[in-house]
Amino acid sequence: MTNILDDYALVSPLRYRNNWLKLTIITFGLLMGVSSQSFILPFTVAFCMSFATVHFGKIPVGFYLKLLSAPAVFVILSVIIIAFFFGSGTELFGFNVFSYRFGINTGGLDMALLVFSRTLSGMSCLFFLALTTPMVELFSVLKATKLPDSLIELSMMMYRYIFVFLEVAWGIRYAQTVRLGYKDWRTSLNSLAMLATTLFIRSWEQGEKIFISMSARCYDGRILFFEEKRPVRATELILTGTYFSAILVLWYLTNDISIF
Amino acid sequence: MHIFEGFLPSPWWQLWFVFSIPIIFFGIYRLNKLVSEKRELLPLLAVAGAFIFVLSSLKMPSVTGSSSHPTGTGMAAILFGPAIAAVLSTIVLLYQAIFLAHGGLTTLGANVASMGIIGPVAAYIIYKVGMKANINFYVVVFLAATFADWITYVVTSLELALAFPAEVGGVAASLKAFMLVFATTQVPLAIMEGALTALIFKYVIQVKSDALLQLNVISESVLDKIKGASQ
Repeated sequence: MTNILDDYALVSPLRYRNNWLKLTIITFGLLMGVSSQSFILPFTVAFCMSFATVHFGKIPVGFYLKLLSAPAVFVILSVIIIAFFFGSGTELFGFNVFSYRFGINTGGLDMALLVFSRTLSGMSCLFFLALTTPMVELFSVLKATKLPDSLIELSMMMYRYIFVFLEVAWGIRYAQTVRLGYKDWRTSLNSLAMLATTLFIRSWEQGEKIFISMSARCYDGRILFFEEKRPVRATELILTGTYFSAILVLWYLTNDISIF
Repeated sequence: MHIFEGFLPSPWWQLWFVFSIPIIFFGIYRLNKLVSEKRELLPLLAVAGAFIFVLSSLKMPSVTGSSSHPTGTGMAAILFGPAIAAVLSTIVLLYQAIFLAHGGLTTLGANVASMGIIGPVAAYIIYKVGMKANINFYVVVFLAATFADWITYVVTSLELALAFPAEVGGVAASLKAFMLVFATTQVPLAIMEGALTALIFKYVIQVKSDALLQLNVISESVLDKIKGASQ
């Protein structure tokens, strides 16, 4: 029903690499992509991160492409609006609707292409993190930051229960589907409401039970986890350094290039 | 409606973080106070957050044919109040970005502002006003969840319009354009979610109404009235 990217991250060969290195790489990519003024740099970042995900992370190419197309509807709609309404310059093409003039001009098309490339680079950075680093690893990073304990506790417990409830939800959904619970629009609405209610009640009761069982094990508001030390290897450092400097040089060279 | 990664240029994504972060911290402050008073609430909030995440990963039957999913933020606001709903939505949005590739990290601030803060606040206000005015409980829930979605969608359009103002007509013109285009999916979707939320509350009241009493969602007199009417 839904692809949980975490499943892929758990078996990824890059899982046991240093978390901070991976976070640095994606933060760098995100910031470079979003602040670039030319479409060349974001496309390059997107290509590098996709290559790293598919090649080093051993993610099937077909699956990866399907993931990249997930935000397509939203992105395409918004990019079209930007192309029509944004920017100035010579008009490339246009038409009249009820005496309104709709046209794409060079400025708008440049902007649309830039936004599209930024989204692509951002998504590929995000996928790199999502497909190589399971949430379990990120909790140790979260703990090292000075975020409030209650927030981190809440996220960890939530994470744990997402999978429990997903299984319940899928089970119920299967059972409803084979009993024609989704045969038409009205029935599906009712079935979905029943599913959600059962889930709510289950989760409520589960919540009460966890509190009892955790209190019995001396829970005092902090769950402690075992953390491994994973030093950054020299080859990784060199590769990352080369990638960073290449991107920075490219940024310096191409920052004012656009198609028009 | 999520804004995807990389879509908002500087300085807009930073500005939305500046807007959201103080409110999230206020939510955490409220959360800490609540949890120190009632220790059993933290696991309960955690399962509620997981519930919202799972709800949002279920596809909803949609009129337009495109598959859509409920956001659950209106429901969270009614159950826990807007401050805690903001904290829960932030975590849910972070997980959606990382697990489902919905939304993004740089756009997290903007998404939290529209889906975690402004939408739930609207739902909460509508709920409180509606209950004061003695309107039927299910109608109020329906309106609160529907308007939470609509306001979220208006705010998202505004976030996009501010970042990409039109050459002719400025922010107002591009706001109109974004709203028109997204209205085709968002208007029916919000009505669906409103109906779904009202139905969920109907079943919850039938089966486990004490949970709602414990959270101070409804008073006992209202509950008696609803139960009396359905029997």
